Amino acid sequence: MDTEVVIRAQRGDAEAFATLALAVGDRLHAVSQRILRDADLAEDATQSALLSIWRDLPQLRDPARFDAWSYRLLVRACYAEGRRTRQWAPNLRVLSADEPSGPDAMGLVHDRDQLERGFRRLSIPHRTVVVLHHYLDMPLEQVAETLGVPLGTVKSRLLHAMRGLRAALDADARPARQEAVR
Amino acid sequence: MSTDRETTRLVRSWLEEGATRLPDRVLDAVLDQVSTTPQRRSGWSAWRSYRMNTYAKLAAAAAAALVVAVVGYRLLPGNGGIGGSNPTTAPSPTASLLAKGTFVVAGSFNTTIDATGSGSNVSGTMTARDAGTAQGFSVDLQCERTIDGVLWIGGDVTETTYADSPKGTRIAILLKPGSPVQGIFAFQASDPPSASCQAFFDDMLALGASPQGLQPITGTVELAP
Repeated sequence: MDTEVVIRAQRGDAEAFATLALAVGDRLHAVSQRILRDADLAEDATQSALLSIWRDLPQLRDPARFDAWSYRLLVRACYAEGRRTRQWAPNLRVLSADEPSGPDAMGLVHDRDQLERGFRRLSIPHRTVVVLHHYLDMPLEQVAETLGVPLGTVKSRLLHAMRGLRAALDADARPARQEAVR
Repeated sequence: MSTDRETTRLVRSWLEEGATRLPDRVLDAVLDQVSTTPQRRSGWSAWRSYRMNTYAKLAAAAAAALVVAVVGYRLLPGNGGIGGSNPTTAPSPTASLLAKGTFVVAGSFNTTIDATGSGSNVSGTMTARDAGTAQGFSVDLQCERTIDGVLWIGGDVTETTYADSPKGTRIAILLKPGSPVQGIFAFQASDPPSASCQAFFDDMLALGASPQGLQPITGTVELAP
């Protein structure tokens, strides 16, 4: 991120903030979408995070750390949305026409569905660690710094989350795959 | 059975799917609100790397549910004197004293606290007023806990003119003994509030809360030994 733009926005330059929001909006939304697994909630979280960024920018002491700081505000917004709505809308998925068909494809689709279900069973903090590490490729130390929690907590959450996802794949996918092959 | 590596591969592949573009209407809504949304320029805490401070590992506000405000204060020197350039903690003159003093929060919040008791049997009040905006709040103190050497004293807002802490908000003041003593406020912005004063602490910890931005402050306070 261009630190000059960050500094201008810190000083209240709305035009600079617009540039900033345009630059980071997509990636913030991609992360909130993956944490919350709900389009409406993700939009609300991203909007809330962007407004928080504007409101709190003067308090960011090191403009060069804007990216990590913005993720932190986004995670806060995702937590808030997650607490507000504990009932998740059903997520129906259809196999698009250009996807390959056959037993292997059925298995892949089934994996996705099981991952979706397994992921939704996780708490928002656990999902967040998975997304920051496996989607954004953040090292665990950076995840810890972004979330403001100890490294051990991050490792624990990731371990728990991945166990949950693996269990979801193992417990549900195999019978369904066998069913699909018959 | 899936291997760890296979699970990781599947998860990474699955996460790549899905929307990545923020709808224009969301961005437009944000930019529309910017003109009417003031920036916070003082008083409440800034985000810092928790590596900068050991206590930041306890940090607050990993979630939007939490907002942490920085206050500063210093304790009575060891000889019982008030103020001074290098304040230290002083033993409590009474067994039931939890915290008592008046201090200015990093040039922003004038704070008075008078609390006795321990655990979930705390009684007392705390008032804080932002010198810059003249907004403030009063808190009915109800519980305390010491976590990693930091004293947390919490309660409910009973009166307020501060926009970010409506009546009923659970607030805690976190005091780190030392020379100088440091402190912060933490308040819960989520709705509904935690089930109890102690549950508020639990919820904060569960969210990875930590007192970032601890700063020395001016004034005096006595703490329980």
